[in-house]
Amino acid sequence: MITTVVGSYPKLSPDAGAPSLRAAISRHDAGRITVEELRRVEDDVTREVIQEQIDAGIDLITDGQIRRDDGQTYFARGIKGFTINGLIRYFDTNTYYRHPIPERRLEWQGAIGVGDLEFAVAHSARPVKGVITGPYTLARLSQMGCYRDLRSLVMDLVPILNREALALQQAGAEVVQFDEPAILQHKDDFDLFAEAVEGVTRGVTARTAVYTYFRDVSGIHSRLFQLPVDIIGLDFVAGPANYDLVRDFPPDKMLGFGIVDARNTCLETVEEIASAIGRVSRVVSPDRLHVNPSCGLDFLPRKSARAKLARLVDGVRRAQEVRS
Amino acid sequence: MTRGLLTTAVGSYPKPEYVLRARARVARGEVSPKEMEELEKRATAHWIRIQEELGMDILVDGEMYRGDMVAYFAENWEGFTTSGLVRSYGNRYYRKPVAVGPVGRSRPTTLEWWRYAQSLTPRPVKGMLTGPYTIVDWSFNEYYPTREAFLMEVARAVHDEAVDLAKAGAEYIQIDEPAISTRPEEMEMAARALAVVTRGLEAFTITHVCYGDFAAVFPQLAALPVDMLDLETANSNYNLLDLIRQHSFGKCLSMGVVDVHHHETESVEQVKEGIRKGLEVLSPERLYIDPDCGLKTRTEEESVAKLRVMVAAVREVKEELGIE
Repeated sequence: MITTVVGSYPKLSPDAGAPSLRAAISRHDAGRITVEELRRVEDDVTREVIQEQIDAGIDLITDGQIRRDDGQTYFARGIKGFTINGLIRYFDTNTYYRHPIPERRLEWQGAIGVGDLEFAVAHSARPVKGVITGPYTLARLSQMGCYRDLRSLVMDLVPILNREALALQQAGAEVVQFDEPAILQHKDDFDLFAEAVEGVTRGVTARTAVYTYFRDVSGIHSRLFQLPVDIIGLDFVAGPANYDLVRDFPPDKMLGFGIVDARNTCLETVEEIASAIGRVSRVVSPDRLHVNPSCGLDFLPRKSARAKLARLVDGVRRAQEVRS
Repeated sequence: MTRGLLTTAVGSYPKPEYVLRARARVARGEVSPKEMEELEKRATAHWIRIQEELGMDILVDGEMYRGDMVAYFAENWEGFTTSGLVRSYGNRYYRKPVAVGPVGRSRPTTLEWWRYAQSLTPRPVKGMLTGPYTIVDWSFNEYYPTREAFLMEVARAVHDEAVDLAKAGAEYIQIDEPAISTRPEEMEMAARALAVVTRGLEAFTITHVCYGDFAAVFPQLAALPVDMLDLETANSNYNLLDLIRQHSFGKCLSMGVVDVHHHETESVEQVKEGIRKGLEVLSPERLYIDPDCGLKTRTEEESVAKLRVMVAAVREVKEELGIE
């Protein structure tokens, strides 16, 4: 069993003396520090959250996405043709992101997250996952702009994000993960989605993952499980129906098992986590599990995120003891 | 002559600088709660006077004493604590309420503020409450085994508050539910909770809802157990009125005619155009006119300018159509 995270990690530490990204951004916005000084604080906070994940016992980490305002604009700002509009709600969460609009036909203009991934790899004793907002979700969470239909927007994003995936692999990503929560809100689009996943993972030899969250995968689960990726991530907190659906989980894939609630501070017990692992292990053997929170941890205060990861690791250990 | 087109506001107004400064100092213990209350009263009286001078029909107290619409209730009730900082978007953070025990009031929460505001004016002042679904959705839950249990307990507390306001003489009671249409699958439960709030209440009840896929849930919105629905119609170019046209709608509508997210003030002509669109679907008795949402994010000058245009437009439409 491998313990991992879905991606984001809370940016603000409550610890006295910890570097404050919030203060640094305000100071930068007010013109009181340079962009280089802001980058140094981002570096410090990134090192800090990498260490927190490692200290919690997480095997496969991310950079915590400290430098991302959100999963959409981080990529949209790096793709030629996008402009960024006003705030809009992110799914059913009480958080917001800025709405990307493709004003012109989208074009690749360079790698986006490679520098951040290289930084994480250089500062982590554990392997690092590269996380990309997948083409379907990025398109769904953007306005249509100059595009006439969703399909043409998705399919223009595919080669751009495929180059990004290849670049992250080159930079040392152990796993290249595509976050695709939007497909669960529009299951009728599965054919387009499958085509996009196939295109965006083409030529990637690092292990690949597609992560879904916020709902269960009923209605699309058998087709989802056949996608040409190595790891499929499911949210078992928002979607408890997934326990039944993974009975069809194919033997040649890994399951991203999202079990601690990354949207609520209520701390699961070790027993609850261990018993959830026991339950899923009846159909997916433990050596094929990536155990992780239900989604990115940025919905929680830092202390709670830390406690959740520590608890996740304890739950996995307990489950291993029970089996051995 | 037909009557109607009463003017009102959604709830919040911008806080004057002296209130904002004092709030920060209260947090540091430099201003006493008593002094703070005096400043909040002064600001409340200021806004009551502005609304009277503008000639509005149904007034609000402006919520000078509230921070966040959910946190305000959580801070004053039993069973809640507040979380560490969580991110809303970009560099914006807030402390989220956390249910840690049985939640509820130990004494009335808003009653004294309503009494104070009403004592300043012969015009009706609305009782302003946050709805149970929104309180639950915007809080962490570390106590209740299910969202439903949490929701129903909050609903009982909001009901008790509403009863107190009605007994004290509030003719209008608004229960804001911006989150209510977040999850279509929970609308039925949310409506049941709102029914607990309004059951047997001797007042004209209003609910303000402000985002979501209204087209998907409009029949449920139209059936909510309140007398009037308050919608942000201006910022969607009055497209929401089509939903009223397409569905059976037996309620009154409070119709937003100025966009609260833009600095620019609409022209009287623009607002009149909006009101006429409203009159195409509902009679003036059933149509109330207000800004799209709370004005607290605008400046005082912007807010007053928008309200002034709103009142002027209503007056002109009334004269043109012979409405009293």
